[in-house]
Amino acid sequence: MASNIKNEVLIRVYILLFLFVAAAVLIFAKAIRISVFDGEKWRSAGKALVKMRPVEAERGNILTEDGQFLATSIPVFDISFDPNSSGMKEGDFDANIDSLAYLLSTYVDNSFTPGGYRDYLITMRNEKKQYVKIKLGASYAEKEMISRFPLFRQGQFKGGFVVQQKYRRERPFGLLARRTIGYVREDVPPVGIEGSFNYILNGEQGEQLMILVDEKAELWIPVSNYEAIEPKRGDDIVTTLDMELQDITEKALLRAMNYHNAEWGTAVVMEVKTGKVRAVANLGRTDEGWWETYNYALGQPIEPGSTFKLATIMALLEDRVVSLEDSIDLNKGRMEIYGKTVVDSYAHGLEKTTVRKAFEISSNVGMASLVHQHYNQTRDEKGNTIKKADQFIDRLKQFKLHLPTGIKIEGEAKPYIKTPYSTQDEWSGLTLPWMSFGYEVMLTPLQILAFYNAVANNGVLMKPYIVSEIQHMGKVKETFKPIIIDQAIASKSTIKKAQLLLEGVVENGTAKKIATDDYRFAGKTGTAQVDYQRLKNRTQISGYQASFVGYFPAEEPLYSCIVVINRPREHGFYGADVAGPVFREIADRTFASKIDLHKSINEMAKENKHYKLPSKSVGEKQDMAYLVKHFGLPTYGTAGSDWVMLQATAPDSIRVVTRKMEAKEVPNVVGMGLRDALYALENRGLTVEVVGVGKVVQQSIRPGTKLGNYKNIRLELK
Amino acid sequence: MSLGSRLYAELRGDKVIWAILALLTMISILVVYSSTGSLAYKLQGGNTEFYLLKHTIILAFGLVLTYACFLLHYEKYKIAAPYLMLIALPLLAYTIFAGANINEARRWVELPMIGLTIQSSDFAKIALVIFVAREITKKQDYIKDFNSAFLPIIVPVLFMCALIAPSDLSSAGVLFTTCLVMMFVGRVALKYMLLLIALGVVVFAMLYMLGELFPDYVRTETWTSRLREFRQEVEPYQIQQSKIAIASGEWFGLGPGNSIQRNFLPQSYSDFIYAIIIEEYGLLGGGFVMLLYILLFVRTTRLITKSEKTFGAMVAMGLSSLLVIQALMNMAVVVHLLPVTGLTLPMISLGGTSLLFTCISFGIILSVSKYVESIKI
Repeated sequence: MASNIKNEVLIRVYILLFLFVAAAVLIFAKAIRISVFDGEKWRSAGKALVKMRPVEAERGNILTEDGQFLATSIPVFDISFDPNSSGMKEGDFDANIDSLAYLLSTYVDNSFTPGGYRDYLITMRNEKKQYVKIKLGASYAEKEMISRFPLFRQGQFKGGFVVQQKYRRERPFGLLARRTIGYVREDVPPVGIEGSFNYILNGEQGEQLMILVDEKAELWIPVSNYEAIEPKRGDDIVTTLDMELQDITEKALLRAMNYHNAEWGTAVVMEVKTGKVRAVANLGRTDEGWWETYNYALGQPIEPGSTFKLATIMALLEDRVVSLEDSIDLNKGRMEIYGKTVVDSYAHGLEKTTVRKAFEISSNVGMASLVHQHYNQTRDEKGNTIKKADQFIDRLKQFKLHLPTGIKIEGEAKPYIKTPYSTQDEWSGLTLPWMSFGYEVMLTPLQILAFYNAVANNGVLMKPYIVSEIQHMGKVKETFKPIIIDQAIASKSTIKKAQLLLEGVVENGTAKKIATDDYRFAGKTGTAQVDYQRLKNRTQISGYQASFVGYFPAEEPLYSCIVVINRPREHGFYGADVAGPVFREIADRTFASKIDLHKSINEMAKENKHYKLPSKSVGEKQDMAYLVKHFGLPTYGTAGSDWVMLQATAPDSIRVVTRKMEAKEVPNVVGMGLRDALYALENRGLTVEVVGVGKVVQQSIRPGTKLGNYKNIRLELK
Repeated sequence: MSLGSRLYAELRGDKVIWAILALLTMISILVVYSSTGSLAYKLQGGNTEFYLLKHTIILAFGLVLTYACFLLHYEKYKIAAPYLMLIALPLLAYTIFAGANINEARRWVELPMIGLTIQSSDFAKIALVIFVAREITKKQDYIKDFNSAFLPIIVPVLFMCALIAPSDLSSAGVLFTTCLVMMFVGRVALKYMLLLIALGVVVFAMLYMLGELFPDYVRTETWTSRLREFRQEVEPYQIQQSKIAIASGEWFGLGPGNSIQRNFLPQSYSDFIYAIIIEEYGLLGGGFVMLLYILLFVRTTRLITKSEKTFGAMVAMGLSSLLVIQALMNMAVVVHLLPVTGLTLPMISLGGTSLLFTCISFGIILSVSKYVESIKI
């Protein structure tokens, strides 16, 4: 019996064991099926659904040296809702959906009624959707507001509130220096500072685990806060651009473009001592007026025309073959050379004159004959050919005119200077004479400017630069100092003479009409024929290019500036008429705004007093006393309190009125500036709401009311 | 004498079961630490160590309980059985109507004073298994009889399962199956057991109807929706993610801590932890864990073969069945052989107090093994 029982128990135990093992085998077989036989399918499903995806880093700012933002990244937020978030409780969803829908339809999307929004969210939840768009590109404030909505305030896991941060590039100065600031876009070559310093501004992308929620829209949302690699914010770039000068420059150029109905124009202002580019304006014609479409200053090689004569005369001076007072025959502005005619732009009728005068009136004949005389191929007594063109070209190379400036912005064009006697360069007997007045040679406006800047800087050639610092999180990481390319591009005496010549152009020459009595400047006009194809068809003239390049003030040059305006169609075409006034306007307004420049003007007697006396201005006694004293305003009355009101009385004096403020009463802040009003009210524990700007004109609680009953006060400013 | 060998000498009882317990504990710490990666980020601001620490402390406390239960002579449990039942029944009733609502199910009761929540069914399960083991051994001589043996055993079982089922159908199922297994091994007549299964169906049907009337107290809605999901062509999200995890692991796994699916798999640290085990340790690792449970059962059958009639063997068999059945059901859910239930993987899943009761079960089983070992055949 006992063994029977034992057997029965054992049999039953083994049956049980068999069942368990069978179940285990079944389960394991299913696991193998999933992992091995269907493995590929599930693994690819996993890969398609989940990926480490790049996370955009915050792009660095572009700043001016005084800390203004030229380009900055504003965070914006794409907000979505995952109605089937794994941590969300049924009860939470049901309890909050009504108020959530109400808030969303009221504050976020008016196209839904609260009921409509509610039904929509419920449908999305029931359809097991994981993505409901709430708002794309929300501002920080909007994001904060929405994140406090019911349900959403429980976060991503429990509340299904999904936020993705992105960045929008903002340019607080709008179109100012747009081309120079530049941009980086997909499928387009990068432009300007943004493009050239992309590697600095960019920072480093991060990576984040993301899940694909909508296959068609390729919509990925981050997996909670699981951020594997934090993106590294890009560094900031401090530019040398001075937005005040930039504004002046762009406005002056635009006015000229309009007035002369020109094709394109550029103007660059550079700091003489350092080579810092302070302003770059580029305007090109479009269907809707002139826009910053191309960086002509850097990228557009031009035949410089008469502005190149400075290089010619300096070469002659360096070779000591002429002196400024040498006599020269201009032959009334006409000269035949190898069967071609050189003509002066301005009719002058001069025959015998000095080299100085020839330069000042920008005589092509003068320059061509000098160069022809001194650098032309000649024969010595024995009849051997002596080639001297190299000598001239070597001088140009000494002035570094054959080298790009090396400014660290993409797209600088190379200068083009012909190799002497090279057939490839189509060198001919006419090349040198024509080069002497700026043809058969190509330079960019910036390269011409750099050369003139060296003259202004007593021969020291500075490398133009536009980025002065790289900052990392507000701390200086790298500073770019001014770089001297050449300590002396020419001898001291040549430079001195060149400076005198340029001053002469303004005082007696082609630029006389734009001279001013207020300050002295130096420069050279240029009037070039565009598409001047001397060799092929001498009569083809499709337009002019007016330019002016110079520096100011002449005695102690601070800024050099070039203005080039291509194809002016109206109101003249001479450099002095078209480009010169732009230079003048830039120089004038620079003098007006840069206080340290116009000492002399400050010292002049003050006439025209039009100022407005303060009327009902309230402030602290000391502040007001300081103001009154500083402006030397006549006042009467004495203040018997810490706060006073100034009241203008006829004809031009000011009465000081006592303004009492009790500690436990709502003060009268009408007439105060916002800062003082906030100080007075917040010290008394009031929360201030402000509308408008200016001085307080109205307050929502009557002055003298006991404190304690009120917490908020509303001010109207005007 | 080194600490290791002293411990070895001190720990009498089935060394294999001790080893299984140790292995499961270690696996638990590893996998829970890994799979809470995502949860920890969500709730603790990235402090994964918080869960590691909490889980390790609970495990350590659980092992202390195991040792305490191991020290007690198993006959003591026999004496305590009716009292345990007297505590369990009202506790269950209380939970249904006033328990804390965690994860949408009323399965929990908050202990006064210490603020710890326990799942009252965990306690009730052990109480019932001990009670059934006691009854079966007490009635061995007339075990085939209906009135004097079958009925007195089955009535408390049905009653208890009926109390658990409304809030936690799957636990009730595991418990009911365990009781059936015990009765089967305890030589209860098969015809009555078939009758019992039929009765179980009837009780379930009645409950279902009751649920339609009082949806707040009985989760019929969830049962039907889970079943519907199971039959659907498009698998529910959890199952998809679970399968991706299993497939990602292939044979050898991605390696400890390398799970990706923990971020998408809800309950990856409890109900679906087995998927994470396979993802990180491969099918081989998953098979090894499964083998540990089967081995646990094999070791308890050894106890039966040694002393088939004793209360101890019966209670050990019952408790290990309870663990193994729950483990197998949990794994079956993970590989989508069963619809989604709320069952955890015993001894491995993160889960506070239910882990403690599992430790107690191990303690009792080990206590039995200690005395059976000492029986000389």
